[in-house]
Amino acid sequence: MTAPMPDREQILALAAQAGLTLPAAYEDELVAAYANVRRMIDRLPANRPRGDEPAHVFVPTKFLPTEN
Amino acid sequence: MADPTELSLAEASRLIAAKKLSPVALTEACLARIDALDWQLDSFVTLTAERARADAKAAETAIMADGPVSPLHGIPYCLKDIFNTAGIRTTAQSKLLADNVPAQDSVCQAKLAAAGGVLLGKTATWEFAHGGPSWDVLFPPARNPWNRDYSPAGSSSGSGAAIAAGFALATLGTDTGGSIRGPAAACGIAGLKPTYGRVSRCGVIPNCFTHDHAGPLAWTTEDVALLMQVVAGHDPQDPGSANIPVPDYRAALTGDVSGLVIGVPMRWLADELPPKPETSAVFDAALSVFKDMGAEIRDVDLPPLRAYEDAKKIIAVAELFTIHGADLRTRPELFGASLRYRIIAGGLVRAEEYIQAMRARTDLARAMQAAMATVDVMMLPTAEPAGKLEPIDPETLFTKLSYTTAFNVGGNPALSVCCGFAGTGMPFSLQIVGRLFDEPTVLRVGDAYERATPWRDRRPALLARETA
Repeated sequence: MTAPMPDREQILALAAQAGLTLPAAYEDELVAAYANVRRMIDRLPANRPRGDEPAHVFVPTKFLPTEN
Repeated sequence: MADPTELSLAEASRLIAAKKLSPVALTEACLARIDALDWQLDSFVTLTAERARADAKAAETAIMADGPVSPLHGIPYCLKDIFNTAGIRTTAQSKLLADNVPAQDSVCQAKLAAAGGVLLGKTATWEFAHGGPSWDVLFPPARNPWNRDYSPAGSSSGSGAAIAAGFALATLGTDTGGSIRGPAAACGIAGLKPTYGRVSRCGVIPNCFTHDHAGPLAWTTEDVALLMQVVAGHDPQDPGSANIPVPDYRAALTGDVSGLVIGVPMRWLADELPPKPETSAVFDAALSVFKDMGAEIRDVDLPPLRAYEDAKKIIAVAELFTIHGADLRTRPELFGASLRYRIIAGGLVRAEEYIQAMRARTDLARAMQAAMATVDVMMLPTAEPAGKLEPIDPETLFTKLSYTTAFNVGGNPALSVCCGFAGTGMPFSLQIVGRLFDEPTVLRVGDAYERATPWRDRRPALLARETA
């Protein structure tokens, strides 16, 4: 999933889109932490089949009446 | 009788059932020890002494009249401070929950109370079971009873320290990447991360929904088995809970491991995360114990450790942000710096990236189960012996590999037991991993190892000096 690493201004803009308007004191933390997260995301396998369903599918049996 | 706080849960339980040990006397001994010694370990954040005395008296009366209702009846225990306890402050070590008093017990606490356990109080954790150790949160970090300058690891820090120190005979922790097994390893006790879904997390403050496990820590594997019997089972209130019958864990402890096939992830240990030489030698010695008891050792191949860490940490950071987003947006200063650094970027993870990480998790869990199908258990160290208690470079929170996280991704049961002591006096640890829901084999193996080795005979010397 490799994509160009966003620069500081782009990261702060992404944070603002997430509703995260941080005090200036925490902006460096965010930029450094996101760089680490981005590197992990970039290592994830990509190009998967369309039908490759992840683990957290809806499990209807979880909603059946139970005696417990 | 010798100091009752040095009894294992199983030993104390047998004496209580035989009416040779008073739950009131045992509880008073634990409270006296906490009072005398916990000032140097900070393992408890809330002590419920009066409630414990009342519960112990009630247990004693009931046992004298009708016998114990469970092996936990009259046994003093403590809980990591992320398990909700009705009427008792539950803080997750966070300033955000400084005044949080739940109205209801977590399911685990309700089960322990119904089994007749005596709650001594709540123990220190890393903030929200994730970020730490921290000196800028609600309470100071717990310290290691083998040497208070050393770390008890995390996040179930206080739980591990309290057991090793003889403050309580049983406890529960939680494990999202190693938070039961790490403190068990650092403190030289037994700690089990059960199979995902085996123990209810209802009423436990969440860390990362998809990887959270609740489970027991105690002095011995037999104690852990007794605790599992109380807390395991289906809970429809927990979306991840499995509706699978609970076996008799204590009955599995036969001491026999002959014919057992033990897998060792050699590539992980040779290439990706080689143990230090002393740790490697101790691990080889542990494997030799099993060979001498008739087990066979073989290599197992698994996907890279890094792939397990990446998938888990991407999922975790997104889930953590979902849980804490409202507070991060409005009062970020109330988080400790360690936790804030770990979760602050979670709001920037896109849905596509989260789902790709979940797809990767599925692949990795399948690979884990395929490897486990070729062996009875897998073994590797749990961690290196504990280092000094000091702040962790936040960068390493994302970059460091561990021997434990892969089994949260796979969901497999994994037990840590003590397998020796380093030159620093810190314990070495052996991790025993099983097939899904095969806690009986994992516990049988851990118990057999403890019976065959002398490591359960040693208690923290620092505390012995302090009590003299």
